[in-house]
Amino acid sequence: MQEVLLIGAGTMGKEHASAYYAMENVHLTGIVDPRQVEAKKIIGDHDTKIFASLEEAVNELEKIDCVDICVPTLFHKEYVKKAADYGLNIICEKPLAYTYEEAREILEYCKEKQVQLFVAHVVRFFPQYSEARKLVLEGTIGDVGVVRARRGGAFPIGNGDWYRDPQKSGGVILDLMIHDFDYLRWIFGDVERVYAKGLLGSGIQNLDYALVTLTFKSGVIAHVEGTWAHHTFSTQFEFAARTGIIEYDSSKEEPVLLSLRETEEAKVGVAVPQSPLRKSPYFTELEHFIHCLETGEQPIVTAEDACKAVEISNMALKSLQTGKPVILSEGGEL
Amino acid sequence: MKIGIISFAHMHAVSYASSLKKMKDVTLVGIADENVERGEKYAKQFDTQFFNRYEDLLKTDVEAIIVTSENTKHYEHVLACAKAKKHVLCEKPLATTMEHMKEMIKVCEENGVFLGTAFPVRFNTPVAQAKKIIDEGKLGEILAIKGTNRGTNPGGWFVNKELSGGGAVLDHTVHVVDIIRWITGVEVKDVYAEIGYSRFSDIPIDDSGIITMGFTNGMFATLDCSWSRNDYYPTWGDVTLDIIGTKGTLKVDAFDQKINVYSNQNGLKWHPWGDDMDYVLLRNFITSVRDGRPPLATGYAGLKATEVALAAYESFEKKTTVILNH
Repeated sequence: MQEVLLIGAGTMGKEHASAYYAMENVHLTGIVDPRQVEAKKIIGDHDTKIFASLEEAVNELEKIDCVDICVPTLFHKEYVKKAADYGLNIICEKPLAYTYEEAREILEYCKEKQVQLFVAHVVRFFPQYSEARKLVLEGTIGDVGVVRARRGGAFPIGNGDWYRDPQKSGGVILDLMIHDFDYLRWIFGDVERVYAKGLLGSGIQNLDYALVTLTFKSGVIAHVEGTWAHHTFSTQFEFAARTGIIEYDSSKEEPVLLSLRETEEAKVGVAVPQSPLRKSPYFTELEHFIHCLETGEQPIVTAEDACKAVEISNMALKSLQTGKPVILSEGGEL
Repeated sequence: MKIGIISFAHMHAVSYASSLKKMKDVTLVGIADENVERGEKYAKQFDTQFFNRYEDLLKTDVEAIIVTSENTKHYEHVLACAKAKKHVLCEKPLATTMEHMKEMIKVCEENGVFLGTAFPVRFNTPVAQAKKIIDEGKLGEILAIKGTNRGTNPGGWFVNKELSGGGAVLDHTVHVVDIIRWITGVEVKDVYAEIGYSRFSDIPIDDSGIITMGFTNGMFATLDCSWSRNDYYPTWGDVTLDIIGTKGTLKVDAFDQKINVYSNQNGLKWHPWGDDMDYVLLRNFITSVRDGRPPLATGYAGLKATEVALAAYESFEKKTTVILNH
């Protein structure tokens, strides 16, 4: 039995906890969050203890195999380092850090302390994404020319409104589009040039939007859109290649759509489609990390990959600020 | 009004001629084409006179000319029309160099004829509706636009740079740039482009690209101008705009009025049922010219849109952002 300690009872914490509760070989032993009410909501009838701090949890719990860090980005480094100091293996939410340098520092620290570090780039575990990758790599549509990826919806609400401060969230480029940057790098390898335009720094409150062009060493051009300016969350991708096109649009996916006729009491609501899987992508991801922890296998997404994803986001941010393309030099440094 | 067509090199000529034939107040007086076989075929199809030399068509009492020749020939044809005092509607892109376009505009002005650029998308009913919504202020201030004008590699002279002046970037940048300028009323300030050459076939020409633009008001936009649709794609291509405003977002898909056709021969194909924009484009040109005012999309609009495409090539060559002068 793997004993997991979850840090953070927010949106992602809740998602991860429900995945752990569904696993037979994992016991969610504790949740660290000073917000007891939030933690209690997640725990329900489960046998999970609540702690105000990581220190308290480490002192009181008999065994912790892994901590899962689901706190805002600005606390990642602090918690990873603390956990590493206790010799605990780590799963950390994306983005690993704000900067490539900081991400590398975290990675090196974990290496030094000889603990495993897994970064939760969950998009690699969404079957529509992993299947599309497989089709592309198998040559189903020939050599890819232009890729389009899109992700986003409404402006996110986090604990203490941390998304409101672009310094804390990094905006769509660092918090949201990093998913697609990582995914595309997983297929096409390292990027060579990045060009970006976006609303970051425009001073507009509670709205962010960016359009980023990645050019890979192979010549593949990828257009990535990140939005916190729309109403409904959705993701899209399209691979246009020499002999075919692969396209996906989550907003057109309605395997189960419940629409209830309004009752007098009921508010006007929009029917939200459900796309059920036996295992959610979060479950698949965490199950994989736990498996790697047990077996020592290399994960599908490494901490190195996570650093590289941050690096692409950094390149995009730099391009946005300078108005110029950012070119990755031979050594891999900016 | 008496109208003539110079060259059926561009396939839009067929659509324009069909539209003209539907108009009771218009006579298609002739088709000039250096390709005799092609010219005679269409002259017969549209029941009009064939001229091998466009100079002979211009000697008639024709009042206005539609130029649908290869891109690099627009310059010569438009100048000849202007000098013969004929109004001109020129297929896009207006021409392939800034100098040519400036001269075309100047010579038309000097000769007192109107020069229009064939930007039919302005007359696409969903696009016009989007402009109305924006004009009403519903979106607030426009912050960003994501556009696509993708298509199929047309082949033929389109992929011969000497005749076309360029591939997908020149062919498919101008429509969306024109629409953005028209809808927002702001000008492009800087251009950056990533361009793909021979990505979708072995033909040595640019066939794909992502163009990023900054505008004079701080707005930004991208455009996918790739010839990336293949034979089995349900349609030829698209024109789409995703517009982000301070008050909301607006999605425009100019050709989304379609029915799905599933056949054993062609798989899935989209059959359009929206309004015919080419007809409205020509009506605007004809009525404008007749009433003594410039058409909705002028030669200058053609120049401004083409300027961005030319800057895109320059940007990719230099791997840097190109700043446009105003």
